[in-house]
Amino acid sequence: MSAKTLTDWQIVMRSLRARPLSTWITIGMVATSVALLLVLFGMRTAARGAFDRGSGNIHLLVSADPSPLVAVLNGIFYANAPSNPIAWSKYQSIRGAFPYQWAIPTQQGDSYRGSPTMATSTDFFSKFEPVAGEPWKLASGKFFERPFEIVLGSAAAKASGLRLGQEVFLTHGSGASREGSEPDEHAGHVHTEYPFKVVGVLEPTGSAHDRALFIDLESSWILHAFDRRERAGISGITTAADLEDDDRKVTGILLRLPTRPGSDASAAMQQQFDTLRRDTAIVVAQPAQQIQKLFEIVSNVDGIFIGMAVVVLISSSLSTMLALYNSMAARTRQIAVLRVLGASQGRVFGLVLTESLVITMAGALSGIVLALLGGIAASAWLKASIGLVIDPTLDPRSTVIVLGGAVALGGIAGILPAWRAYQVPVADNLRPAA
Amino acid sequence: MPVPALTIRDLRFSYPDASWALSVPHLQVEAGDHVLLVGGSGRGKSTLLQVVAGLREPGSGSVEVAGVRMDTLRGAARDEARGRSIGMIFQTFNLLHGFTALENVFAALMFSSMPVAEHEHRARALLSTLGIADADAEVDRLSVGQQQRVAVARALAARPALVLADEPTASLDPENTETAMDLIQSACRAEGAALLCTSHDPSMRARFARIESIDAMIAGAAR
Repeated sequence: MSAKTLTDWQIVMRSLRARPLSTWITIGMVATSVALLLVLFGMRTAARGAFDRGSGNIHLLVSADPSPLVAVLNGIFYANAPSNPIAWSKYQSIRGAFPYQWAIPTQQGDSYRGSPTMATSTDFFSKFEPVAGEPWKLASGKFFERPFEIVLGSAAAKASGLRLGQEVFLTHGSGASREGSEPDEHAGHVHTEYPFKVVGVLEPTGSAHDRALFIDLESSWILHAFDRRERAGISGITTAADLEDDDRKVTGILLRLPTRPGSDASAAMQQQFDTLRRDTAIVVAQPAQQIQKLFEIVSNVDGIFIGMAVVVLISSSLSTMLALYNSMAARTRQIAVLRVLGASQGRVFGLVLTESLVITMAGALSGIVLALLGGIAASAWLKASIGLVIDPTLDPRSTVIVLGGAVALGGIAGILPAWRAYQVPVADNLRPAA
Repeated sequence: MPVPALTIRDLRFSYPDASWALSVPHLQVEAGDHVLLVGGSGRGKSTLLQVVAGLREPGSGSVEVAGVRMDTLRGAARDEARGRSIGMIFQTFNLLHGFTALENVFAALMFSSMPVAEHEHRARALLSTLGIADADAEVDRLSVGQQQRVAVARALAARPALVLADEPTASLDPENTETAMDLIQSACRAEGAALLCTSHDPSMRARFARIESIDAMIAGAAR
């Protein structure tokens, strides 16, 4: 069906179609830079989300690490095994000094094929939520109920290939286990004396806990007691009956304070935080506060990446401007003809500016689709490969800011070519070509 | 009494640093009249048409097209008046490449005062009358003769009072010159438009009842 008349929009689109290579390359550049910006914004949000997910419904974390930030990185995100233990008696005294909703002991230091092991109590699964409001879920099996049973985080299960009912031997330290590759000289030793039976595999939580394996505290203490006894020349299997007070140690205590129904905040938080801080043998951390501090530390790097993406977006706008500006040389006659037919200078200016905006808008929308598809693919891959849960949807605020910024830059990029079109001398461009 | 298509009074125009100037004390083209403006190449015929069309600024004097003082209008108002009252035909047609014959005619109508609803009927009828069978063909695919017909249709589309034809046959052989001028003049008569046509070709004189010489409008060294 043919047109009923000619419109400014048709002139703009015809002009863009007349130079397809330049148009598509420019759209592609804008799309790439917009997608890059959105992906960086998305990664920042996702990273923040991933950190937020680990601490779940903990109010305070106690450890003997050198600083609260290290305590959070080690105790919740498994950065390293905490080196300084807390005596069981200290745990009991902290738990008994205040009516906490719960006080869950944890102990780290063992590993399986490089994956960290967390020894803890059954409260870890029944009371602690790795993501606030999202309790643990089992993909298969059950939570541990007795010594020498082991539960696998989703990513750890995927990485190790272990199945329910299989037996594993843990390494004291972070070195390779018996089934792993050659351990180096600094690696810990494998406790082949104590097989652990896989009884459960957890659903992904999108937190660092997915990389860990979970056993009960008594099992861990027995492994350590075995080492102590071996060093003392006492041979034979160590049991719970052989445990001494010095064997009963933890490396962290997860605390939740009393709250009002329906609220996650606790009125006693600051007072209890200050009380625990007076004990110089331990450090106490508010995970949310430490994560905020961590993001403040890395925000400069974050800013550099965002800045680089903005530079790429500006570069693509400059390309739009150059492509349009250079095309003006070949279009002076067309512009002059439109002027003769009655088009005002302002209308010609608007036509070229619209071309720039169309290119930018098409590029920006393509970039959003690209970022969305990339996000969905990356999210699916991360979940399948390492169990990391990342929301693939784009943050509406970032999307609007990037879209608005791109369109504004496109408008600015169109001003110079549009001005050139505005100034085309009509009479001089109607003469026959030499 | 109908308003004259063109009235020029005491017009003076010169290019910066030029040793000559256009000087037109009085020139009037009545509605529907056909006037030939003759003179050698480079004498200022095209310049006069451009001044009439409002594409160049006169130094002094007045230019009135269909009762509208073009010389006093500025910017968009002048462009709008040109789109409404003046049609232009060029030696090289100056069609919009990449657009169809129909769209080239639409291009003149989109800046006119004609309601959009009438554009298609007007454009198709005009192209059909001028012998363009395929109005939806891109102008680059048309023959030179057909392209000239499209250019004529475009110049007449907005029902202008005045058509300015700037050396419309300069690049044509004698046979095609006859055909082209037949087309332009008959179309202008059919539409009731006045025609001011420039040419340096002496054979054109026989086609016009009124002939003006650009030489009589030049003051200064070039005369």
